[in-house]
Amino acid sequence: MTDAISISNAELRFGETAALDGVSLTIPQGTCFGIVGESGSGKTTLMRAVLGLQKLDQGEICVLGNPLVPGRAALKQRASFIQPIFQDPAASLSPRSRISTMMNEVGTVLREPHAALFERLGVILNRLGLPQSVIEKYPHEISGGQARRVAIARALLMKPSILIADEPTAGLDVSVQGDLLNLLQDIRQSDNITLVIISHNLAIVRLIAENAVVMRSGKVVEGGEVGSLFKSPREAYTCELLAAWPSVTRAPALNR
Amino acid sequence: MSGIFATLKRICSERDGRLGLAFTCLILMFALVGPLVSPDPNAIDIKARFAAPGLAHLLGTDNLGRDLLARTSVGTRYALTLAVIIVVISSIIGSLIGIIAGIVGSWIDRAVAAVFDIVNAFPPLILAFALIALYGNGSATFVLLVTVVFIPQFGRMARARAKTLRNLSFIEAERMLAVHPITIVVRHYLPNVAGPIIVLASMNLPVVIAFEASLSFLGFGVQPPKSSLGTLIKDGFISINQSWWPTVAAALVLAIATLGATLLGEALRRVIDPKSTRAR
Repeated sequence: MTDAISISNAELRFGETAALDGVSLTIPQGTCFGIVGESGSGKTTLMRAVLGLQKLDQGEICVLGNPLVPGRAALKQRASFIQPIFQDPAASLSPRSRISTMMNEVGTVLREPHAALFERLGVILNRLGLPQSVIEKYPHEISGGQARRVAIARALLMKPSILIADEPTAGLDVSVQGDLLNLLQDIRQSDNITLVIISHNLAIVRLIAENAVVMRSGKVVEGGEVGSLFKSPREAYTCELLAAWPSVTRAPALNR
Repeated sequence: MSGIFATLKRICSERDGRLGLAFTCLILMFALVGPLVSPDPNAIDIKARFAAPGLAHLLGTDNLGRDLLARTSVGTRYALTLAVIIVVISSIIGSLIGIIAGIVGSWIDRAVAAVFDIVNAFPPLILAFALIALYGNGSATFVLLVTVVFIPQFGRMARARAKTLRNLSFIEAERMLAVHPITIVVRHYLPNVAGPIIVLASMNLPVVIAFEASLSFLGFGVQPPKSSLGTLIKDGFISINQSWWPTVAAALVLAIATLGATLLGEALRRVIDPKSTRAR
């Protein structure tokens, strides 16, 4: 089976800084794949490169076997394969457009009749636990959690095979984080979507992903099946990341 | 519509805004109603030359006995019409060029920025003299020349805004949905560029009014017997020893028009773009 995403020797520099330094990895179809690393490790840059938003200096990226090429026809094809959920979903919704207008744009791209599109949207909104009335609102009229779900709804409306979520739980409280991860897992399993989770939060990747890679300074330092990766890491950096995991300990007794 | 009323309400909530709105309304009324209630602005009455302001002629008469109220109101109407036409045309053309350059980037962006810089490098009056020497006097030449002078101002602002917007998540999300580029420009770039452009347009209105008066004063703008605020000031200035009112009447109208438009533009800027308000 063709890989969902294959990246070979991706290199990208911003001046003196190597944002991506010879990154090679493959993500099989239908799996949940995690990319972890500290801030500035190149996770988001890699996602932007996969989406075609950032040109590489060197290397090749294929999405479902199709290399990234410029041009509108290629972009349209890519949009039907792969959709992102941005780190700040509220910022990914046009501030001066109603949500219905943004959803309509998907219909125009897919050349889908209005009624059929909104029937499908209704089902998706239901599944995401959003009221139907949300589509008549502007992005500033909804909460952060709702904005994240609206962004997911818009991505799902495109019927993608691959969903890339950049820090999907950032800014959410713990209970909402759990709900959202369950939701993404449900969607992945029912729609047979390849889910790529980019996060600095190891717990999330451990919870949801099957395979993962650890990135540092634009390089993939270690990768493999999540259980063994986090249980017996080979690289010192992975150990450091795991050790940096915050834990609750009993405070020393105060002398009165 | 509710947005317009809300903006007006916020403008009226501050002193400068109220003053600007009052001056602008006064000048608009003067330009609209003045020519309807006053006699023919070109009717000569030698017997009444240099008549002082009075009941027969509210603002007096000029050296040919023409009614100054009529001539000033016609000149104001002419100045306002030209200013609105020029600002609208230059803002539309400048915004489109700026947005396209900002989105496309590469050598097109650099070329557009260089052209804007070249046009801006010429003092407007020098550029005006050159274009008038090439194309002659007249309203069409004036509109063309001032439009050319003002396009870079709008273009630079739209270009800077488009460059910022291009990298924002919501524009990238639209691109990732493969939404048509024209739809993205019309639906997502234009509404987000419109605010600063409207503010700049409102602040450029008094500049265009003063620019038209300057050219007419120097004899390169409106030609006699048509009246404009600049020619009225010039004609009054020549005969200032006999009568002071022609110069004062036209200069007062020019001052109120530019002051009103400036105060209104500033208030609009504070309402639409509160972040740019300088510390008081």
